[in-house]
Amino acid sequence: MDASEIKNTVREYIVAEFLPGEDPSAIGDSMEMITQGILDSIATLKLVSFLEDHYRIALAPHEVAPEYLDTLDAISKLVLAKAAKRR
Amino acid sequence: MTSPASAQSDASGDAAQGERSRPGARELLGIAAIAAQLVLVLAVVRLFEIENRTFFDVMALATAGFVVHALLPLSLRLPFFAGLSLATVVVAFGFLDGVALIALGLVLIAIAHLPLGFWPRVALLCATGALYAVWRGGLLPQPWSLTIWPVLASMFMFRIALYMHARLHDAAPTTPLRALAYFFMLPNVCFPLYPVVDYATFFRTYYDRDALRVYETGVRWIVRGVIHLLLYRLVYLHLTLDPDDLRTLGDLVQFILTTFLLYLRVSGQFHIVVGALHLFGFRLPETHYLYYLASSFSDFWRRINIYWKDFMMKLVYYPSFFRMRRFGQSAGLIGATLVVFFVTWLLHSYQWFWLRGGFPIESQDILFWGLLGALVVFGSLREMSKPRKRKLGPAPKWSLSLALRTVGTFTAICVLWSLWSADSVSSWIVMWMVAGNATLGSVLALAGLFTAGVLIAGKDWSIREKYDDQAPPWYRRPAVTSVLPLLALLLLGNTQLYAPRTPQVATLVASLQGSTLNTRDAALQHKGYYEKLDNQSRMSAQLWSIQAQKPAHWVGLSETEAYVSRKDFTLAGLVPGAHIEFLDRPLSVNRWGMRDRDHALEKPPDTYRIAILGPSHVMGSGLADGETFSSYLEQELERSRNGVGPHFEVLNFGIAGCSLMTQLGVLEENALRFRPDLIVVTDSPLLANTVVNHVLSVVGDGYPIPYPDLDALVRETGVFALVDPGPPVPFASVRSALGALGIQTRMPWREARLRLRLVENDLVRWTFSRVAQVAKQHGAVGAFLLLDNVGNPPATPVAGLEDARAAGLVTFDLLDVWQGRDQAALRIAPWDNHPNPQGTRIIAQRLEELMQRHRSELRLEDALVTR
Repeated sequence: MDASEIKNTVREYIVAEFLPGEDPSAIGDSMEMITQGILDSIATLKLVSFLEDHYRIALAPHEVAPEYLDTLDAISKLVLAKAAKRR
Repeated sequence: MTSPASAQSDASGDAAQGERSRPGARELLGIAAIAAQLVLVLAVVRLFEIENRTFFDVMALATAGFVVHALLPLSLRLPFFAGLSLATVVVAFGFLDGVALIALGLVLIAIAHLPLGFWPRVALLCATGALYAVWRGGLLPQPWSLTIWPVLASMFMFRIALYMHARLHDAAPTTPLRALAYFFMLPNVCFPLYPVVDYATFFRTYYDRDALRVYETGVRWIVRGVIHLLLYRLVYLHLTLDPDDLRTLGDLVQFILTTFLLYLRVSGQFHIVVGALHLFGFRLPETHYLYYLASSFSDFWRRINIYWKDFMMKLVYYPSFFRMRRFGQSAGLIGATLVVFFVTWLLHSYQWFWLRGGFPIESQDILFWGLLGALVVFGSLREMSKPRKRKLGPAPKWSLSLALRTVGTFTAICVLWSLWSADSVSSWIVMWMVAGNATLGSVLALAGLFTAGVLIAGKDWSIREKYDDQAPPWYRRPAVTSVLPLLALLLLGNTQLYAPRTPQVATLVASLQGSTLNTRDAALQHKGYYEKLDNQSRMSAQLWSIQAQKPAHWVGLSETEAYVSRKDFTLAGLVPGAHIEFLDRPLSVNRWGMRDRDHALEKPPDTYRIAILGPSHVMGSGLADGETFSSYLEQELERSRNGVGPHFEVLNFGIAGCSLMTQLGVLEENALRFRPDLIVVTDSPLLANTVVNHVLSVVGDGYPIPYPDLDALVRETGVFALVDPGPPVPFASVRSALGALGIQTRMPWREARLRLRLVENDLVRWTFSRVAQVAKQHGAVGAFLLLDNVGNPPATPVAGLEDARAAGLVTFDLLDVWQGRDQAALRIAPWDNHPNPQGTRIIAQRLEELMQRHRSELRLEDALVTR
């Protein structure tokens, strides 16, 4: 599991779940999804559930924040860090 | 795991940022262009007197600071910003208060950094906050001014929680320099109501994109904010209505709509705040996003005051959700949302305490946040089961579904907002009584409004700031978004350029070039409404900015020992022989209960006696004994007689806050004993309002009305149901239905007031007729003096003046007496419009001139002949 794989998986999830019909490539690695209003609070919580289930990690409440989930870059860093901690 | 804090180096160490630390030719040109735009902003701020003088000073400092800051190496920019921010505190408050504010803030920052555990530090912060609250409440002596508290509070009351959160979770480095920049950030001194800027976001977005693009966004948002503030002024001054003045469905709709539109002030201020921060590299997100175009309640919550929503999400919603999600996603969502709205309501009152000094717990607040919370829960559950459609760009086509949802949401929010802003829930319910009064014109206007709303709301206007490599489209370039609007405003503000051709437009624009009170607030200020009802949480921001300057001892006369509350129709009087300090001036009452020197009951020979009755400006609020206009009038008349004819004696029967009806009572009981030759009753353009309040008090307190014809007139309105036993229930039909079931109810105060407002002109006419009749019976001339405190006259004629003439009273219209004068120099204080001695001299001179002009009507020739 590397950063690029995580980004692609999450990108596909976001498009399928929240942006049906959009081109996945339109979501760049540094696109601010929370700040730009693409992911609202409900969508963010769904994304959290997805990350927890898919990668078998547990997020803390303070990690549901733009610092950790705003961009695909940030999400991949978070998942990798959590996975490394689990190991 | 790697936290953002450890991943993110301090600004000075970032390589990518380091590349941008020394500006090249492109940057230099760009910085010059931004500086030029900021100079235009300053010109507009000055021309339209946006906010206050401090705001201009701070913006001027920010403009100069921007140029220096942008040219500095990146490593020096944050220290410079922190220093500039601290300087604005001293500029705004002066040295002593400024230093006190900074020192009190530093204490809090120091506690946050103490080498103790997290919770002991939180406990210490709470204890210090409690001490500060005691100072804020004025319960302990303090060497600094009370005015520092709202600003100090706005810097720390929420941000300290975010700062501690960042320290706890290592979300961003927390150095002393960063803390100074964060807490004292530059424009905060001008805006006590300030967006809750998140610490982590503040530094996460610091110079993280092309600096010039960030600066351009900053100017664009400042310009947008200025436009919001001007639109706010337009609504506030020309479109808002007093809930007491609603008569038709059209009035009701206008009232509800404009109440929500007044929020433009907050969004305007927040745009300016965040725009200004962009100028120093902080690429913060928008605080508001097309909130009038929300298509659901959840959407509304996401668009309005976004920083508050984010603050709640971070500290309340997500922690609550994580605790409750074990009961299921939906239960977690419902529970967390309800907790958020409960805390929001509580913190709203907490914020109010720091900003205005009271802690309002009011039913309309509870209802507003409760209903909004329930609606957001409902919307969120719906979105959980049926996700809303999202698009990366704006939808290309107009959509009827979107239009109807948006108009529906807007309407519902307007209604909710009017409830939130109402004086009380009962007054809000009573307000709807006029909904049945619909004219064809108002129905057509409503239909037009609805159609326009649907046409606008059906299009997706979504436009977010973008920082990609593509050049922005032409309509988002600085020349269009900033320079053009600024030049247009400068042109518009120079009204002399077009006043000869379009005088109405020029007058309208001129009215926006200054921060003045609208008719309702001017009336409230005039009558000291809030002093009586302690309704400061419902006070408009405009009125509050003036009232906040008022010292604690600046109370109404009714709270002093010189005032007596009477248990009869007259209601009020002065205590004979009282000597007090009132509004920082000595106030003496003579043995006859007059704010005057002593007078013999018997009229001296060869004397033309004038009895002047009236409210505070007659009694002389804020004036020393002998500085009232009646004293000066006596001097003027004596001077003008030139040693020929009768002497003049002017007797002052003024009582602060008294209505025409109190004046009638004082006249019949007291003034007539002095056998005056001229009786002058006085009131402001609000005379009908005070008469209505008088009758309400008389009826509400159960005092008999000693005039049968007036009693009959009042009885016809049905307001005696005000004193029926039982709880207040609006609408006569509901009371009747409950009565049929054996349930006793009474009319609410608001409904009684509305019913009396419908006959207010009849009440005023009756009072004038009675004054004229009494004067005639006692061989005196009756007169009515229309006089207001220092300010501009109302735009429309005062109906009472014609009523007074019709009743046979001589009328003196002095409403224009303040026009064309330096009004600030004629007031007793910046927060109190009563005329000072210079002002009362002007009144006396004008009145003397008018009396000379009406010599025959006033029987001054008769007096000369007979004596």
